[in-house]
Amino acid sequence: MKKIKIMFAAICSLLFVTTSAKAQDGKLKLHLNYNYSIPVGGFNSDLVSNTSPRGFNGSLLYTFNNNWEGGLSIGYQDYYQKYGRSVYALSKTQDVSAVLSNSIQTTSALLTARFSPLNTGSVKPYIAVGAGVNIIDFRQYLGEFGSEQTNVGFLAQGGLGVTIPFGRLKTSGIDVGANYDYSPFNKYGYTDLNNVNAHVGVFFQVK
Amino acid sequence: MMKNAILLFLLGLTGSSLIYIGCAKQPLDHLSADESRIYITDHDSAVNFSNYKTYSISDSVAVITNTNSTRELNELDQAYINAVKKYMGQMGYVLTNKNNNPDIGVDVSRIISTTTGVISYGDYWDYYNGYWDPYYWGFPGYDYYVPYAYSVYQVKQGAMSVDMLDLKDASDNNKINVIWTGLIRGSGIFDSTVADSQVKALFDQSPYLKTN
Repeated sequence: MKKIKIMFAAICSLLFVTTSAKAQDGKLKLHLNYNYSIPVGGFNSDLVSNTSPRGFNGSLLYTFNNNWEGGLSIGYQDYYQKYGRSVYALSKTQDVSAVLSNSIQTTSALLTARFSPLNTGSVKPYIAVGAGVNIIDFRQYLGEFGSEQTNVGFLAQGGLGVTIPFGRLKTSGIDVGANYDYSPFNKYGYTDLNNVNAHVGVFFQVK
Repeated sequence: MMKNAILLFLLGLTGSSLIYIGCAKQPLDHLSADESRIYITDHDSAVNFSNYKTYSISDSVAVITNTNSTRELNELDQAYINAVKKYMGQMGYVLTNKNNNPDIGVDVSRIISTTTGVISYGDYWDYYNGYWDPYYWGFPGYDYYVPYAYSVYQVKQGAMSVDMLDLKDASDNNKINVIWTGLIRGSGIFDSTVADSQVKALFDQSPYLKTN
């Protein structure tokens, strides 16, 4: 865990240094994507196994050169699951029978770097990494009686995808890809909010 | 130009956020009345319920608000009392008159929130003598005792409570131990047609109540 954080901190630092040095050469692109998320790991087994079609992300990426882009990404995803009635032990002697509902909204802010190894052809593949914070709004209901907690956690993201530029200047186009989100959530006996997500959207040059 | 781009980005994200947050699934919108209900039971872990054979149940229901309590017996109350009798019988307990030294006394209470909207369940026990005078069970001057294991939780909107009292050992203990409690909360519980299923849920999750 510490190694991952250090690695991403190093990437982010490098990104900023590079941005400062080459800002005058670059272009700024805005990516707006629809996001579909699939909970995995402890998230899937302990909290929500339903996939979430309710998400989006947006990125403002600076093009350093033909291979590298970097910038800020913000995302939102809504997860929900209702479990059938079951009896839960509240203590050694106390039990509650209830329909359990978990509702989780995540809002992430990441520093992102993208590397595109190929620059020829109509499809431009890329790999991406990112790290930042995840604001987690967690509501849990026993029947109609709920509690709400908001936590801020670490989020690391790695993924791959392709961009399909349009037009003569190829300054806008389609962005399709998938990510793995590593999101520790060591609260209330849970372990993580890890998920695999896929996105599709558009990008266009804003500078 | 750079400022405009960032402004556009932030405006887009804010707009999208509002749309998506508005579209977030609201758990309470996806619950039926039945699904909204919860059934909480607790018991004295030191008690062996097979040592108890007979019981008596109060002839009315304590109606408890934030400010006072009364005793009533309407159709709803009678439905809950009848349901408790039914499931106590299924657990093996024999109903007897309270003058015949029953092993267990059973109280049924209807808790209704009023102005503040909240009744602490800890307060419920603190004032239990006020709702159910120990005199009723033949033990004037006694206090009720609730084991520490009983959690404190708040009651909003309303609840039905069923409590089992240890009358068999009250004289030896110089107090009336509350050995089992069941609490029903949620939408539509003050409806006589659902009383049976609500009480059944309490007993279903308390198999240790069986007398044999």
